[in-house]
Amino acid sequence: MKRSAVVILGVLLLGAAVAASLAVGSRDIPLNDVVSALLRPSDGEHTVIVRELRLPRTLVGLQVGVALAVAGVIMQTLTRNPIAEPRILGIAAGASFGVVVAIAVFGLSTLAGWIWFGLGGAALAGVAVFSIAARTREGSAPVNLALTGAAIDAGLGALIYGVLSIDAATFDQFRFWVVGSLAGRTPQMALQVLPFLALGLVFAAMAARGLDALALGDDMARGLGHSVARWRAIAAAAAILLTGAAVAVAGPIAFVGLAVPHAARALVGTNHRWTLPVSALLGAILVLGADVLGRVLFPPGEVPAGVITALAGAPVLLWVVLRK
Amino acid sequence: MKGYSRLGLVAVALAVAVVASVSVGEVSVPPIEVVKSLLFAGTDYDLIVRELRWPRTVLAVVTGAAFGIGGALIQSVTRNPLASPDIIGITQGAGLAATIALTTGVIAVAPAALAGGLLAALLVFTFGSRSGFSARRFVLAGVAVAFALRAGIEVVLTSAETIDAQRAQIWLIGSLNGRGFTEASAIALTLVLALGPLLWAGWALRTSALDDDVARGLGVRPVARRYGLAAVGVVLAAAATAQVGAIDFVALVAPQVARRILRTERPGLLASALVGATLVVLADLAGRRLLAPTQLPAGVLTAALGAPYLIYLLLRGRRHAA
Repeated sequence: MKRSAVVILGVLLLGAAVAASLAVGSRDIPLNDVVSALLRPSDGEHTVIVRELRLPRTLVGLQVGVALAVAGVIMQTLTRNPIAEPRILGIAAGASFGVVVAIAVFGLSTLAGWIWFGLGGAALAGVAVFSIAARTREGSAPVNLALTGAAIDAGLGALIYGVLSIDAATFDQFRFWVVGSLAGRTPQMALQVLPFLALGLVFAAMAARGLDALALGDDMARGLGHSVARWRAIAAAAAILLTGAAVAVAGPIAFVGLAVPHAARALVGTNHRWTLPVSALLGAILVLGADVLGRVLFPPGEVPAGVITALAGAPVLLWVVLRK
Repeated sequence: MKGYSRLGLVAVALAVAVVASVSVGEVSVPPIEVVKSLLFAGTDYDLIVRELRWPRTVLAVVTGAAFGIGGALIQSVTRNPLASPDIIGITQGAGLAATIALTTGVIAVAPAALAGGLLAALLVFTFGSRSGFSARRFVLAGVAVAFALRAGIEVVLTSAETIDAQRAQIWLIGSLNGRGFTEASAIALTLVLALGPLLWAGWALRTSALDDDVARGLGVRPVARRYGLAAVGVVLAAAATAQVGAIDFVALVAPQVARRILRTERPGLLASALVGATLVVLADLAGRRLLAPTQLPAGVLTAALGAPYLIYLLLRGRRHAA
């Protein structure tokens, strides 16, 4: 398939996913009612459901899908490891730790209150991982970066579960956040993380050319006249901002950052100017699709999007891997 | 320092950790009395040493050894330092089975977890083995399986009562609390049964440094060998996980630490076993004493001790290179 055809198909699928995300739920709303609710708001029930319950969720889903997928591409290239994802670099654990602190220490019990702690934790952990790795031998060699991230992830995980195992009340709130879900998200939340997301995407776009060079190996990249340290720093900043924003607002939704880059590379190859935008498209489709699926699977209950992405994404990743 | 004397140092560290683990506690026993009681019995400390602390320490040693070797084998075969039983789905398989067993109460936890771990491995091998062996495909198939199973665990956890979910969560972290010779002998039996394959694995790992073509010339079948190595690692990790829960980080960190202490190209099996055993013994000791009388699970402390040490080794590497 041609690259442009992939992009067009992706945009169409994303449109369908957005439409489904607005229309499908415990009460199905016909598409023309959705459109009129968006364009000509009234006091009717449909308007309330679409604009206040579903639209924020759709927006957050879009943000999270794009952010996690793009961050995943960057992390896999930076660590030159096909199994790198937000968890591997310790950023997701940093966000989780921030949320645990918010619940256990500050007694916050609402998502809106957790977001800043999640963002702060993600940023601290990400900066720590990259600056420690930069001080190791061969300064941030991919394997050192991956191992440092895994060490920080495990260390923070230990702290988190140390707290949770002696504090049942915190555990009870945390276990629902940590699965990753889009339920109950508000427009304010989408707005809060938007600046971080936008900045992260700008950095990612800037880093695209550098990532192509880094993928060839440090020596080759240097030989081609690239500043390896500078590209790494820009790409790392993008990965931290994107992951931090996504995890803070929706919990660590699993698997998107891992699986989507593989699917994107299988479709459009390894040039980052294509891999990054196509991953963004696929990530948004996956997260929105998972969220819709989670709503209709076992009504009236909801399966969190984070569970669906892993359950539905695993066969896709297997297919991508086995295809060759 | 030569490789053997470094290996000797790790062995001494393990011996010190073992004595400390038996000696330190609510009632502390002088190290010399620990040795006396263990060797000759009939001392005042026999109950504490022989009945209470020694079984748990032995369990820590065999658990750490099994995870260390399992991790070293899986990392060598996949040529990926991040690959370990908890990345390629073994731990998640055991965890899902155990979570179901704990929240429903219909089956015993240990056999369920063992079966779950081995079934997960079977899945990974099936997906990873289509048309020849590729390390990349194997580890990616493992990651996919791990994520799907992890999602399964989360479904069970979120739909369970809080009290059941928390019990399952504690199992998932892994703890030696209230466990002893029964669990230790199950793991030790697996280690003994694996001894023959392990000797073969030590040899196979050395020859796998060779080119596949050279190896074939020497009469080695590279693909079959990689599967054999991975299978031994998987069985050890699954056996240990089934008995004590998912003490996650040991299998990842022990081979990497062993490799850096011994300055070898790839992790040695004996060194990984010794490092893994030392780590679990120390983690369990710290977990018992840190917030005593509250006992922290060893699985929390392995990462808390192992992660900073790995980072220290990564940072120190620079000085030696200069």
